[in-house]
Amino acid sequence: MRFFKGIVQGVREVNRRYSKPGIEMTKGVKAALLMLRIYLLVLIGVLVVKFILTVAGK
Amino acid sequence: MQAQMTTPTRVKSRMGFSSRLYYFFRRFGKWIGIFLSVAGPGIIVMVADNDAGGITTYTATGAQYGNHLLWFLILLGPVAYFVQEMTVRLGAVTKRGHAEAIFSSFGRFWGWFSLLDLVLTDWLTMITEFVGMTAAMSIFGIPPLLTVIGCWLIMGAMITSGRYWTWEKITLVFCVLNLIYIPTAFMVHPAVSDLFKGLIPHFPPGGFTNTLFFLLMANIGTTIAPWMLFFQQSSVVDKSMKEKDIRFGKVDTAIGSALTVIVAVVLIIVCGKLLYGQDIQDAAAASRAIMPQSSIIGTIIAIGLFDAGLLGAVCISLASSWAFGEIFGWAHSLNTKIREAPWFYAYYVFDLALAGTVVLIPGAPLVLITLFVQVIATTLLPAALVFLIILLNDKKTMGIHANTPWLNAANITIVFVIIITSTLYAVSTIFPNLF
Repeated sequence: MRFFKGIVQGVREVNRRYSKPGIEMTKGVKAALLMLRIYLLVLIGVLVVKFILTVAGK
Repeated sequence: MQAQMTTPTRVKSRMGFSSRLYYFFRRFGKWIGIFLSVAGPGIIVMVADNDAGGITTYTATGAQYGNHLLWFLILLGPVAYFVQEMTVRLGAVTKRGHAEAIFSSFGRFWGWFSLLDLVLTDWLTMITEFVGMTAAMSIFGIPPLLTVIGCWLIMGAMITSGRYWTWEKITLVFCVLNLIYIPTAFMVHPAVSDLFKGLIPHFPPGGFTNTLFFLLMANIGTTIAPWMLFFQQSSVVDKSMKEKDIRFGKVDTAIGSALTVIVAVVLIIVCGKLLYGQDIQDAAAASRAIMPQSSIIGTIIAIGLFDAGLLGAVCISLASSWAFGEIFGWAHSLNTKIREAPWFYAYYVFDLALAGTVVLIPGAPLVLITLFVQVIATTLLPAALVFLIILLNDKKTMGIHANTPWLNAANITIVFVIIITSTLYAVSTIFPNLF
């Protein structure tokens, strides 16, 4: 129990320490991060579709 | 006045040829000495890049297309160099690992995404390394259980010295062993004219087919893996490399890239000569298929496969351990003893134990895992590469070591191509009949 509490505390500490991005968010950086989010959403969407098709196929 | 005029230039101009030669070799020897003390992370990460999955890809490429894709493999050398060289600069300047750099620069969302994705990708890749090692040793009749236990003992022993330097030198010995493949290229007596033809960019007979596309993507995917970025940067930090060591780090990385390409080319030549036209699914099968023709070459491929898996497993598990230690603030250096950094070593051992255990489970879906690894890696690789480019363009942090316009042009092109190809590879793995 103490072990898991320690992990939760550690995660909270990490979240607190890195709550704000340290890099200067120029237009280029923001555009790159936005494109990355869209890319990942599409990729994960593809994986979800495949999972559904596979399960439906069974 | 006379004394002031005796500058080094004047002294040099008075030196004879033999004296100049002496000073040249003395300076060169000093340069070599400094280089040897700094070299390590680049050579290790690149040679470890030829892991079990990489060896399998090269043997399949050679068996399928002979020497026709030599030019492509050689092109991948500079690609790997340009990407990995960025981690040397980033690590030496910021003194932070890649995971910590992502957290502190991009915040907790991207930080957790990168860290958890890295852990999952690394663990799955480690399973494939153990698959390769057990498959290699089974050729010699060694059961998987013994292989796994032996690997655990070797990998555990490598990190118990409490000194990064010791671990690095032991790992470099395994890297040298990885070059065991090289003599085999001479033993098969390839036709020189075929080799030269293979260096000219062209499509193999049959043209651009689905199989060719898949294999090209697999080769790209095996050249740049996410764990390599995290490993080399953390290794540079643990080695306490400074900004003045960056040029030696670049040479270290360049040599590593060359070695990667050499091993890839050798395996393609050997399998192209001995297994051309055969359907080879993995390196262990290649070794078995070659044994009747040449037991020496078959044995070398099996030993090399084991070594490749071992190197890959060591580096990948360290990449994850370092990443966790950086983020959670644990002591996370190979320069610490086990009792000084218990969580760092505990994670390393846990990672190895879990991956090795999965391989021993009867009926474990190892083929599925091998396919899945590439798909999962594709979710992390683009993010890690994009973050790398952004961080290397942060002039406030990187100063004179930030990317120049020329480096940006090269790196952005490479990153763009890698993202597209690795995505197509992942999609073609998920939907095999799509292309």
